[in-house]
Amino acid sequence: MIGPDRRNLVYLAAAAVGLGGVVALGDTYALRVATLVGIYAIAAIGYQLVFGRLGLLSLAQGALFGIGAYASALLTLSLGLPAPLGLVAAVLVPAAVGAAVALPIARLDSHYVALATLGLAQLALLAATNLELTGGANGLYGVPPLAVGPVEIAGGWPMLVLVWALVGLCLLVSRAVLAGGRAARFATLRDAPHAALTLGLNPVPARLALFAVAGALGGLAGGLQVHGIGVVSPSVTGFEVMVTILAIAVVGGRGSAPGAVAGAALLIPLPEVLRFLEGSYLVAYGVLLLAAIVLMPRGLDGWLRDRFPRRPPAVPAVPAAASAPPRRRGKALAVDGLRKRFGGVTALDGVSFAVPAGTVAGLIGANGSGKTTVLNLISGLETPDAGQIRLGGVPLADRPAHHRTELGLGRGFQHPEFPEGLFVLEAAAVAARDRSGAVAALDRVGLAERAGEPVAALGAAELRRLDLARALATEPGALILDEPAAGLTSEERAALAALLRRLADQGLAVLVVDHGMDFLLPLADRIVCLDAGRVLAAGTPDEVRRNPAVVAAYLGEGATA
Amino acid sequence: MIEAAAQLAVNAVALGAVYALVALGFVLVIGAVGAVNFAHGELVMLGGMVGVGATMLLPADLPVPGLLVLPAVLAVMAAVGLAVAGIAYAPLRRAPPTAVFIATIAVGLIIQHGVTVGIGPEPRRGPPLVDSGVLDLAGVGLAHQQLATIATAAALIFAVHFLLQHTRFGRRLRAAAQDPEMARAVGIPVRLTIAVSFALAAALAGAAGLLLSNQYLVTPTDGGALMLKAYIATVIGGWGRIWGAALGAFAIAVFETLVAATASYLVAEALLYLGVLAVLAVRPQGLFGETTGRRA
Repeated sequence: MIGPDRRNLVYLAAAAVGLGGVVALGDTYALRVATLVGIYAIAAIGYQLVFGRLGLLSLAQGALFGIGAYASALLTLSLGLPAPLGLVAAVLVPAAVGAAVALPIARLDSHYVALATLGLAQLALLAATNLELTGGANGLYGVPPLAVGPVEIAGGWPMLVLVWALVGLCLLVSRAVLAGGRAARFATLRDAPHAALTLGLNPVPARLALFAVAGALGGLAGGLQVHGIGVVSPSVTGFEVMVTILAIAVVGGRGSAPGAVAGAALLIPLPEVLRFLEGSYLVAYGVLLLAAIVLMPRGLDGWLRDRFPRRPPAVPAVPAAASAPPRRRGKALAVDGLRKRFGGVTALDGVSFAVPAGTVAGLIGANGSGKTTVLNLISGLETPDAGQIRLGGVPLADRPAHHRTELGLGRGFQHPEFPEGLFVLEAAAVAARDRSGAVAALDRVGLAERAGEPVAALGAAELRRLDLARALATEPGALILDEPAAGLTSEERAALAALLRRLADQGLAVLVVDHGMDFLLPLADRIVCLDAGRVLAAGTPDEVRRNPAVVAAYLGEGATA
Repeated sequence: MIEAAAQLAVNAVALGAVYALVALGFVLVIGAVGAVNFAHGELVMLGGMVGVGATMLLPADLPVPGLLVLPAVLAVMAAVGLAVAGIAYAPLRRAPPTAVFIATIAVGLIIQHGVTVGIGPEPRRGPPLVDSGVLDLAGVGLAHQQLATIATAAALIFAVHFLLQHTRFGRRLRAAAQDPEMARAVGIPVRLTIAVSFALAAALAGAAGLLLSNQYLVTPTDGGALMLKAYIATVIGGWGRIWGAALGAFAIAVFETLVAATASYLVAEALLYLGVLAVLAVRPQGLFGETTGRRA
């Protein structure tokens, strides 16, 4: 996907300089600091997946580091297992704990994730400090060093080489985790959570997997630390480790694995440089963290990216079959007796209507009449209090949003969200069968020639078309759109109307919320008018336009003239 | 037996009233900017330290030293709150709430370790609010200290209630919290309202720190646990609900006092953290809050 990337040359050059510096200093002390840089780099590479890629402020990475350290120490000390086996436990145990804590919070907002992970960290600290098993406040002593056969890797160059070889391995693991379009899907889950759900992306397995990988890497770092220094105390589960990893991730650049290595190389030697401040290096970490988040929110890696932009993806040719009917057959959409209350406000009070396959239906009504709520209930972003939704006869109300996409529901948004830093093709491909399917969808909305540009280069009207393209890339049997024509020029409206008509002619059921009667009335086969959460009128555009109740409640006098 | 139970109840109520103050400040900032103020616990600690320092400036043997330094603590901490808003929020107005969250983690680090470096890690005792007498109530002795703590916290809570419900600032704050764009459009000075929220939150935190500092002492590392309790209280009370958070904090204090009395403080803490994980898994909308859908 990336190919030769000049940013990576900068990282390699920096690594060479760092290695040169360590060789030049050459003393045990420099080797120990360089080893510690590698250990924290590993923990931070893992943390980047959860914090950077999924945008979840986990505060458990320090605890997972500590759990890895204790797991390895306990197995080698109490059971007498060889140290390399202890290290395996240091990977597996925190991975399991990470996944276990991700499970209950797999669908929750970031501030709940922060609290839950902080609770886990506090429990780990309490356990480490108070259990007899973990040696209480004193911790555990005499943890054996790592060994390959009879050769001990106790410190110095052997330990440094081992740790940095594992840093390299972790960079590859991170790359593999993000390969195959997963980086774009994680970015969509992070920056466009509602769109992600309606594109069929399920946050739960993504969170479980990335929490597990983050736990594995955090634990590996803790295990390396404990075998390197031979002791473990409750402070490894304390907040200082967490804050250090967080500062590394922010300074290095959110989400970037090589940035995490660079951040560790900058921050970990800091307590040594700032030795004149004595124990107060954490004040300096605080100042640096604050400065980074305010002045350089995208961190070192973001700074490099501005100078060495990512290369655009290779854009496949538009498939010749793009104008042919979609693979999936159109599916009728029907809602029956939908009710929804928000607190004391009744948003929908028994709404029923149907959109047969191959037709366009318009949903109109004043602001606050419940139009968007209908779309949110159909797409599964909200749960109805009562009523049923059917797609091709299949009841949807009990299914999560991403299942509905698999069953053939596509949704466009009034204010579409897009992930940061993607190219148009990548954004359209998150839910597509493959990239050529994404190009075909882009072609249908007239964006195929922009496929290789960054999403940020698109204007507002083009973003709406991109939103429609990524929904079409799921090959829906029914499509629901929220004010797709708002803000478009009259030519763009005409093109959109023609596209929607074409989709309906290919068999899709199309439901369009819009205020533009000049757009909707000629396009729609049927119109449903909502008022205060009820269906005020339904029928052909002509019938609804002449309905006195609709004129009074919504269209206003003069609309019939 | 009755005396012990009464004393326990007074302890629980006093601690609950103080925790409620802490949670009120915490949830005010969540309401104003939608972000967690991770430094809130450090502000409580700093308030206690300011109380300790201010008492040193007073002549000894004054009758009610704690009450005398309270206005100074409120004023100094309000200024600190404005500074926190200026450093950790103002430059990040357009950034996502997570950025503010991280910035306040940094501010908390700076305050906690700055205090440690400045005056050392030792615990310090703050001034007593009033004299150390005991009120005899039908044979049950109640410490003046505890009663004064309850009265002071209650007075502050009622002042906040009045401010939020019956003043222009309160209406503006609630409007800005609900929809900042709309509030700005109708001419509410959103930035000023947010700055005042930070100041008010820090002042309440400082008062809570002062109230805790005599009985429980004040140590530079105290902040984290207090912030965490306010955070948990906010979840128990339903995210962003001001009085839900205060009620949640009160419940935590009662729980903590009872479990600490029957088992140990350690058990109370462990159960609290396990409890919050269970609440998040089962009922993330809070224990007291009614079930409302989030608008997409």
